[in-house]
Amino acid sequence: MIFSTSNIKKSFTTGEVSEEILKGVDLSLVEGEITALVGSSGSGKSTLLTIAAGLQPASGGEIHFDGEDLTAMNQEQIRQIRAEAFGFVFQSAHLVPFLTAEEQLLLMLETAGSPLSKKQRCGEAARILQSVGMGHRKTAYPASLSGGEKQRVAIARAIVHQPKLLFADEPTASLDSTKSREVMELLQQLTKTLNIATLMVTHEEDMLAYADRVITMKDGRLA
Amino acid sequence: MNLAWKEMKKSKTKFVILGSIVFLISLLTFIISGLANGLSQDNAALIKNLPDGTIYMETAAEETHALSVIDTETEQPVLSENDGAFAFSIQMGFLLNEQDEQQSVAFVTSTSSAEFPEVAKGEIILDRSLEEDGIQKGDRFTNSQLDDKFTVAGFSDGAKYSHAPVAFIHPDDYAEMYRTEDLQMLFVPKAAEPEAIAGLQSFSTEEFLNTLPSYSAEQLSLSMIVWFLVVISGMLFAIFFYMMNIQKLGLYGILKAIGVKTGALFRMIWVQMLVITAIALILSIAVSQVFATLAPGDMPFYLPIGITLQLSAVFFAIGFAGATLSGFQIRKAQPLQAIQQGEG
Repeated sequence: MIFSTSNIKKSFTTGEVSEEILKGVDLSLVEGEITALVGSSGSGKSTLLTIAAGLQPASGGEIHFDGEDLTAMNQEQIRQIRAEAFGFVFQSAHLVPFLTAEEQLLLMLETAGSPLSKKQRCGEAARILQSVGMGHRKTAYPASLSGGEKQRVAIARAIVHQPKLLFADEPTASLDSTKSREVMELLQQLTKTLNIATLMVTHEEDMLAYADRVITMKDGRLA
Repeated sequence: MNLAWKEMKKSKTKFVILGSIVFLISLLTFIISGLANGLSQDNAALIKNLPDGTIYMETAAEETHALSVIDTETEQPVLSENDGAFAFSIQMGFLLNEQDEQQSVAFVTSTSSAEFPEVAKGEIILDRSLEEDGIQKGDRFTNSQLDDKFTVAGFSDGAKYSHAPVAFIHPDDYAEMYRTEDLQMLFVPKAAEPEAIAGLQSFSTEEFLNTLPSYSAEQLSLSMIVWFLVVISGMLFAIFFYMMNIQKLGLYGILKAIGVKTGALFRMIWVQMLVITAIALILSIAVSQVFATLAPGDMPFYLPIGITLQLSAVFFAIGFAGATLSGFQIRKAQPLQAIQQGEG
């Protein structure tokens, strides 16, 4: 088990009204497994994912990654962990519009502080793009890619620096069913071959078939 | 990876438009500044071109040099004790050519001086602008206050006073025209502390120029125009850079989400600001210098490199401030918010 949360809470205050979105969540992630987080809208699944990914702080509880307590770290330390050990696939690809597919990956390698030389980084980026079926589009800019191609590049960017954890928030929400299946097969294959612990939020039941574990959330708690 | 350069290369149109705006604003500022300085030079080049030093005039003249009279007993010890010191007078007047056409000039005479040209009796040295108007060496002029004629002996550069070309004349001719052998002012090159001379009031060249009512009022208006323009231009610079970066907050949020340091994003916007501003300023400096050479002679235009560099420094500073201001918004950009806002 590389990642775990313990009694994670999150509440938002609007004026004098305080709403508790997460009411003490314990979650663990294992390498080589896709853990799917499902639940109705407002159940807190996306909030849990973003807290786990260090994109927003929890109101209470602890998050342990690789033996370290993320909740005790400052913003810079969390940023460094996000850059070096986490990968992200969002609902939209969120590619940098002025970088080619290859450059998206090179940026990620640079951000993660990869020890590879410039030439080795280019080789690695090409290899990863090839592995997601985008080797022939490495010089293409996002504007010229289809939705499915963008998501493949986003996945390639998320794994090029060999992260230990992959966070995927509705990775197939903007794709049709054929493209969705292709993307999920790719995520499943990469999770196994790279031994990554993947946490995926989805509301699409068809995608659950690709998960090793399915966790349901209801009213801010694991059901 | 040089994100700044990659973006500029990919989004050429956007950056060319922004650069064009910066270029046009800075060019406008340079041109207006050149015209304002040109007017200032046209009014006071004779005095402005003097080296640092002190100008003395009679205290009783109450800062009106035309009323100042410095007698020989006061003048001689100052000239003999100070290297480079000289006495001089300025009087507005006119010359008549052989067709009886009138030309307004500022008559200037002085004792022997390195700053003003030596003129023989009966000769006259004119500002170069009159040569451009067709006056030639050897041309002869009369003046109602002088029995003899003046012969043009040559031309001098940058000799303008009170928007009129200067005519350097010999002290004897001056004495005949204005019925006095006493000159109005003394000039002593810069000393550590201006020496107090009984009965005389001392002025720096700038202080002296401010005693001229037309000069101080004109300069105040011109300075107001130029600095108002600089402030407005600067604000436009800052606003454009700010707007350009604010539009990219979503992108910055995504970059922060994947772990790009905020410092790297600051560097990106600074590099873009520096490159755009530098290219735009180089172009506008070049165009304004070309304008200076092509501008009609009657249009006073003076844009020395010192003023150009000063204005450029102000633009860089303001552009930097605008970019940095938007950088603070980047610092606040929330990765989570950017992710939830859809396609980046």
